[in-house]
This record gives sequence, structure tokens and C-alpha cells, in this order.
Amino acid sequence: MISLKRTNLAMAVSASLLAVITVIAVSKGAVEIHLLGMTEVQRDILLYVRIPRVLLAGLVGASLVLSGTLFQYVMKNPLADSFTTGVSASSAMGAVVAIMLGLGPVLPVFALAGGLTGLAAVYKISSVRGRVQPITMLLAGIVISTFASATISLMKFLSDDAVSSIIFWLMGGFQSASMGKVATLAGVLAASFAVIRRDYLSLDIICFDDTTASSSGVDVARLRRKAFFIAALLTAFSVGYAGIIGFVGLVVPHVVRLLRYVKAAELIPLSLLCGALFMILNDLVARTVLSEGQELPVGIITSSIGGVFFLYLLIKRKKELYYFD
Amino acid sequence: MIELRGIKARQGGFTLSVEGVTLKQGEFVAVLGNNGSGKSTFLSVLAGLRNYEGGYLLDGRDFRELPPPERHGRISLLPQMTTLNMPFDVFYVVLTGRFIHTNGLNYTEADIEATEQAMEALDITHLRERQFNELSGGEKQRVLLARTINKDTSVILLDEPLSGIDILHQHDSIRLLKDLSRKKLVMVVIHDLSLALREFERFLFFTGGTLSYVAGKHELEEERLSEIFGVRVNFLRHDKGILVYTEGR
Repeated sequence: MISLKRTNLAMAVSASLLAVITVIAVSKGAVEIHLLGMTEVQRDILLYVRIPRVLLAGLVGASLVLSGTLFQYVMKNPLADSFTTGVSASSAMGAVVAIMLGLGPVLPVFALAGGLTGLAAVYKISSVRGRVQPITMLLAGIVISTFASATISLMKFLSDDAVSSIIFWLMGGFQSASMGKVATLAGVLAASFAVIRRDYLSLDIICFDDTTASSSGVDVARLRRKAFFIAALLTAFSVGYAGIIGFVGLVVPHVVRLLRYVKAAELIPLSLLCGALFMILNDLVARTVLSEGQELPVGIITSSIGGVFFLYLLIKRKKELYYFD
Repeated sequence: MIELRGIKARQGGFTLSVEGVTLKQGEFVAVLGNNGSGKSTFLSVLAGLRNYEGGYLLDGRDFRELPPPERHGRISLLPQMTTLNMPFDVFYVVLTGRFIHTNGLNYTEADIEATEQAMEALDITHLRERQFNELSGGEKQRVLLARTINKDTSVILLDEPLSGIDILHQHDSIRLLKDLSRKKLVMVVIHDLSLALREFERFLFFTGGTLSYVAGKHELEEERLSEIFGVRVNFLRHDKGILVYTEGR
């Protein structure tokens, strides 16, 4: 089939790009590293700083994109992602609570609990008969995000020693990367992907209204619960390890969709690769654009690059590709 | 075969009630009634999409006891309104009708072949590559009809499948459904009384949420229909059958 060939080609192209960018990203930074002929110091930087950081950026990018894509499927809403649904902020709130209680090691559990609570609230507020109203969802997401951010600020106010680490949740970044985090997130992402790829056909069918989807033989309620949980899980780990980074989960799947990869079997794997690519690129820019080893928060870059590209595609091709009803 | 006894289904202030009726494979059944009379609710109860009280046997087995995959494997439903929020092409939309025949992971060659046939039957092969959401109302309806038929179940429930379809394709669609009803139970919600009387053999009429009148083609009475629809119904007989002429109040 032609579409399969086209997809495989796109996968091959994005995987090669990902490999190239990864190599560039580990060699560039405050200290330039030539992969052939390294000094001992350079090798230590490469192994303990650069590689974990680049890998974590890639994994967080892929995770946020998978969670955003799943939110868009189950909420039947093109504006949904972990950021706009308030799940990121509520996960961050959970993470900060864990720090305040001195429970750093189980931080992702708290982040997940926070994220699920926020998600349940937003879903409850904005759904009418199983369909999430886009505008209400955005409003509810803003309210939940604001509430979660206010809570984080309050905790920051109440406890001075935790300030610096708390600010990190709100800004986002990969400074605290480690191989342990890389391994954990890789495991979570691989497991999530393995589970959800068995539901590609069902995910396509829930793009129809619920009555049509149910009578087609898809257990809509069960799939929705499963996808929500996986999306919240990926958000919780991403936020737990890299703070709140907006926009990636929204932009990347849209771009892939605008390139006419619209079936879940094409859209999801391609989005994952592009998400990793996009985030590594953003982090690379964030840590190399200023001189003398200074860093910009990566969220600023994701929002600017992502926003401009998204706007361009949206204006050019919105008519043919977006039908909300 | 569908056997219903003392069915009640409530939603808000509305109650659907069906005292009793038996519907068999090989029947081509028209479901009629004014707006809000319970036709769509009736179909969604039959399709297992709504809770109900009472007895519903499908091929002799209690419908409640059937696991959902088995229910959906026996009954197809074309709802009155279908929305899609992904820019799928027409071929894929029709192909998704085969979901219950898959292992959940892949569509097979057999599914693709069945899809080609369903598209041919509904004369939509030329729309194959088009985006579903770009089609006209009538074209969409034919695509959805093909999708429903593609599911290939023994019971087919269609909620106003002919709305928006041009006369040429209405004739084709009806002929196709009639052919299918030789081996299957096909039930169609329809508003056009003349068309219904010409093509269908059995009729279910709903008024105010109740299945109020079940009749065969030759038992239909003008008086009874006038009561049901709230307009004066006249049968104009001619050599090709019956034309229905209605007069408003």
C-alpha cells in the first residue's frame, strides 16, 4: 500500500534526523566536545552531563507528545494537551508537595496523583455526554493551572529552603538529568507505547462520535480511561523530571497531522520521533544561544519555535484539515 | 431474531415503552412516527447503547447476558448523525466498519475486499480518496451507509439513512437494503410515507414514546395513520401501488 510506504519513508527520515541531531547535541554546549579524540574531562562531561541531558530531553519530548496526542483523541478536541488541560500544572503541584514533605524519591507518584486529580476536575467540568467542549476545557484547564500554580507559589512562600528547586518546576528544563531518570522514563514511555499501539484501530474509531464508535464495537469508556491514565502517567514523569514545558504536546501532533499522517498507526509513531527531535533541538538552542554557558529556559524556545511553525501551517492549511463538528 | 417483552427505557422526562414485538431475519421493517416519538431511542436500545428494563432476547438469548463484543458482532447501527474529527479519506471511513472482524490490530485483505464491495454497492468508489468531511450531505450519508453494511451483521438498524440522498441513489440504496433483508433483519427509520408503503412489508409506528401500532403492508388503515401523525392521511391507489397524500390540520 502506498500510504504505508510513505509512512515508512517519513519514519526513516525522522529517525535519521533524530540520530544526527542527537550527535550534534551531545557535542555542542558550554564545552565543545569532539567525539573523536576527547580529553578525560570531556569524556566525563559527555557521559555524566551531556548524554543524560540530551536523552532526557528526547524522552520528555516524546512523552509529552504521546500524552498530548492521547488527550486529543479521547477528548475529541484538537486543543487538548497536558499543558492546556492543566494536567502539567497539577502534576507539578503534586511534585512540589512531595518535596515539601521530604518525599523526593516517590515524587513521580505524587506528580501522578496531582495530575490525575487535575484531569478528573477538568474532564468533569468540561464534558457534556462524553464529549469535551473545547472552550470549556480550555477555561477549566486555565482555572486548574492557575490554582495549581498559586498553590506552588504559596508553598514556595512558606518554605524558603526549597525555593530554588520549586522554581524549576514552573520554568522547566533538563539541568537535573541523570542516567537513572533517563532509564526510568525510557521504561515508562516504552511500556505506554507498547500498550497503546495495540489500540491504534480503536483510537481511529473514537474520532467518530461516541454512538458510532460504540456501535462499531469499540469499548469507548474503557479506552478513554486507559488513554487518560497513560497520558497522565507520561505527563507526571515528564513534569517530575523536567518541570512544566508547554506547547510540545500540542504542536507536534498537529504538525504531523497537517502533513497528512492522520491514522493512529502513522500519527503516533511519527509524532513520538518528531517530539524527541523537537525537544532535543529546543534544548540545544536553549543552552547554546547565550554566551559563556548561560542558559535560557527551554519553555521559551519551545513556545517561540513551535508557535511560529504551528501558526504558519494553521493559516496555510486550516480549511482542508480542521473540522470540529 | 429479536423478541421484546415489556421494554421500558427512561431518559430524563422521556420514557420509551414497547409492550411486545417479535422481529425476524428476512424482514424489511420501516420504523415511523413524528419527531421525538421514540424511534431513535428504540434503535439505540436494540443496539445495546442504552439501559432498559424488561425482556430482550436476541436469537433466543437474553441480550443483557451477551458480552458487548458479541452484541456488536450481531447488530449494526447507523445513527441519525455521525461526526468525525479526523481528516480520514472515504475508503478508510468505510474500512473502519470492519473493526469487529479484526483482531483489533490490523485490517486484513478480506476486510479491504469487503470494503471495495460495499463502496461499489453504494456507488461511492469514485469518492475513495476524498476526505470524508469535504463531501456533501448526501454523499456522506452513502459513505456511512456503506460503512454500516460493511460490518456485515445479521441485524441492521438504520436511523434515517436516506436523508439528504438524491432520488437516484435513494432507489439504489433501498434496493440494496431490500436485497440484504432477504437474509438479515433490516430496520429503517423513514419519514416518507409513500416510499415506505411502496418498499416495506412491515411497519412499526411510534407515538409519544410508545410502540403504538405494528402492521403488515396490507393491514394499514388511513384512519389509524391519521391519528398517529396528526394529519389527514389519504391513500391514493393506482396500478403501481399506493401513493400517500396528506393534508395538514
